[in-house]
Amino acid sequence: MSPLVATVFLALFVTGFGFLLVFVASILGPKTNQSKVKKMAYECGLTSDGADRSKIPVKFYLTAILFILFDIEIIFLYPWAVAYQDYVSEGAGWFIFSSMFVFVLIFIFGLFWEIKSNALEWE
Amino acid sequence: MANNPIVFFPLAFVIAVAALGVLLASNPIFSALFLVLSMVCLGFMFLAMGAFFLGGVQLAVYAGAVTVLFVMVLMLFDLKDNANPIAKGLLSRFLKVSSIGVFVGLITGAVSLTKYYPVPVKAADPSSMESTRVLAVGLFRDYVFAFEILGVLLLVIAIGVVSVSRIKGGTHDRA
Amino acid sequence: MDAMYIGIEIIKMVVIFLLMVQLVPILVWIERRGSAFIQNRFGPNRVGPLGLVQLLADAVKFAFKEEFIPGGSYKFLFLLAPVVALIPGVLAFAAIPLGAPFSLEPFEMFGNTWGPYDLKLQGYDYGIGIVFVLGVSSLAAYSLLMAGWGSANKYSLFGALRASAQMISYELGLGLSLVGILLLYGTFSFNEMIAIQDGPLTFMFMGKETIIPFLPNWGIFYQPLGAILFFVSVFAESNRLPFDLPEAEAELVAGYHTEYGGLKMNMFYIGEYGHMMVASALMATFYFGGYNLPFVTPEAINEMFTGMGFAFNGASLMTTLVSHLILMTKVFLFLWIFIWVRWTLPRFRYDQLMDLGWKTILPWALANTVITAFVVVLMRGA
Repeated sequence: MSPLVATVFLALFVTGFGFLLVFVASILGPKTNQSKVKKMAYECGLTSDGADRSKIPVKFYLTAILFILFDIEIIFLYPWAVAYQDYVSEGAGWFIFSSMFVFVLIFIFGLFWEIKSNALEWE
Repeated sequence: MANNPIVFFPLAFVIAVAALGVLLASNPIFSALFLVLSMVCLGFMFLAMGAFFLGGVQLAVYAGAVTVLFVMVLMLFDLKDNANPIAKGLLSRFLKVSSIGVFVGLITGAVSLTKYYPVPVKAADPSSMESTRVLAVGLFRDYVFAFEILGVLLLVIAIGVVSVSRIKGGTHDRA
Repeated sequence: MDAMYIGIEIIKMVVIFLLMVQLVPILVWIERRGSAFIQNRFGPNRVGPLGLVQLLADAVKFAFKEEFIPGGSYKFLFLLAPVVALIPGVLAFAAIPLGAPFSLEPFEMFGNTWGPYDLKLQGYDYGIGIVFVLGVSSLAAYSLLMAGWGSANKYSLFGALRASAQMISYELGLGLSLVGILLLYGTFSFNEMIAIQDGPLTFMFMGKETIIPFLPNWGIFYQPLGAILFFVSVFAESNRLPFDLPEAEAELVAGYHTEYGGLKMNMFYIGEYGHMMVASALMATFYFGGYNLPFVTPEAINEMFTGMGFAFNGASLMTTLVSHLILMTKVFLFLWIFIWVRWTLPRFRYDQLMDLGWKTILPWALANTVITAFVVVLMRGA
C-alpha cells in the first residue's frame, strides 16, 4: 500500500474529526442570544469605524517575496547536501564545494544588500 | 503507481474541481484558497507518481510560500465581491466565447488522441533516495552553469522587488 | 496487503492522531504546574489527585460554551480555520518514526493465519522524510490567515498577517540550519539517520578515522551551532514565547484568535502543541539519536528480550515499545525545555523578532553550511 494513501486517509480523518468537534461544540452550547451589540467586532471596547485600507503596508509583500527567493535557494541546497559525500568520495569534492559556494556567495550578496538598504525594516 | 486508478482519479478530480473553483469563486480570497487546495493536491499527485523530492518541494515552495504570498496580499486589499467580474462589450464577449471554444477543442483533441493501453511503470520504492541522487547529479554536474545563472536570476528578482517598491512618487519613495 | 494489514495501518493512523491529541492535556497540565513551580506558587491542585482531572474538567467546560460567530464574518472560513490548524501538525508527526520497526511472524487470530509482516511505528515512510515535514509545516500559515480574515476584525487581520510573516521568516532559518546535518548524514530519511547515529563518536580527521569511545555518535556533537539555530527557529514556528507576540494578551488582544471561544480556540492550541511535539521529535531524531539509546542497537535489545524467554513476536513488540519509550522520554525533555523557556524569558518586540530571523539566524545558518561543507571536503577529500 503506497504511503500516499495513508497520508490522504490521515488528512481526511483529521479534517472529519475537526468538523465533528466544531459541530459538537455548536450543539452542546446554550441557545445563543445574538444581539447586535454582541456581534460587533471586539476592538478593546471602542466602536469600530471600518477598516482603513488606503495605505497598505508593503513590508508584508516584501517579506513574502524574499522568503520565496530564499526558500528556493534552500531547496537547491537540499539535494546538494545529500549527494555531497558521494562527490567527495569520488574525488570531485572541491568542484562541488566551489560550485555551491559561488551560488551561496551570490545569495549572501543579495542578503547583505537587503539588510544594508533596509528593505526589511519593521519599525 | 501512476496507473493505480484508486489513487489517481480522486486526486485528479479534486484538482480539477479546485481549479474550477479558482475561476468561478466570487470572492478573491476564496479563489486563492481554492488555488492552495489545488497546489497541495498537486504535491500529493507528485508523491503518488514517484517523484518524491519534487512532491516535497511542491508542498514547501508552491503551497507553502507562493500561495501564502497570494493569500497575504489579497487579504491586505479590501476587495468587494464581484468587483467588476465581467467586462461589457461585444469584442470582449467574442474573445471570451472564442477562447472557451479553443480550450474545449484542445482538450477534446488531447483526449481523443490518447492511446489507452496500460504502460508498465516500475513502482518507485518510496523509501529510496535514488531519484534525489539522480537529480543532484544532473543539477550539479551536467547543468551546473545553468544553476549558477539561476542564482543570479534570483538575485536580480530580489533587487528588483525592493527597487520597484521604492519607485519615485510611490508611498515608500526613498528620495 | 490483506485485511489485517490494512486494519493495522488504519488503526496506526488513528492512534497516532489520538496520541497527539491526548498528549495536549498532559502538556497543559505540565505547563500549568511547571509554570507555578517556576513562579513559586501552586498550580491546579484541587481537582483530582495533583490536579490531574483539571484538564478534563476544562475540556468539558470548553465543549459547553456558547457558539459565537461574529457578525459580518465569513462563516465557513471562520469555522474552517481551527480545523485546518490541526492538519499540518498531525501530518508532520505521522512522518517521524516513533519507534523501531518490528516484524511479525505468522500468527493465529480470529481463526485465520495472518502472514509475516514488516511494520514500522511510523504513519508513512517517504524517503524524503524531512522535505515532506518542512513542506507540511509551512502550511500552518493558512490557518492563521483564515482565522484572522474570517473574523472580520481589523486587529485580528493584522495580527494574523504579522504572525504569518513571522512564521515564514523563521521557516528559512529552520530549513537552512538542517542543511549542515544533511551534509553529514547524506540522507533525508529519518530511519537511516537514526541508524547512522549509533556507536561511538566516529569521524574522519585528515583522512584517518578517529574514534572517541565515550561519546555517542549523535548529531549534537557534529553540529552544535546548527542545533541551536534549529531550536530557536522552532520556537518561532510554533509561536511560543519568547516569540509569541501574535497571540500576546496585551498587544493585539489575542491576535488572530480574538473572536474565537470554546472548543474552536482549543483546537488552535492543539495545533500549537502539535507543532511543539513535532519540533521536539525532530530535535531528538536529528541531534540526539532518535529512538535508540547510546551504544545500544535495537537488535541488542531484541536479543535481550529473546533471552528473557519472549517468543519472536513478543520480543519484537517489546523492542518497539522500549524504543518508543526512549523517544518519548527525549521528546518530553525537549517539551519541558519549551515550557521552561516560556516562563523565563520576556517577549521580543516584533521588529526585534524579525531582525533576529533575517539578520542573525539566516547569516549564521549560511555560515554553518559553508563551514561544514568546507570541513567535510578538507577532512575526507584527502
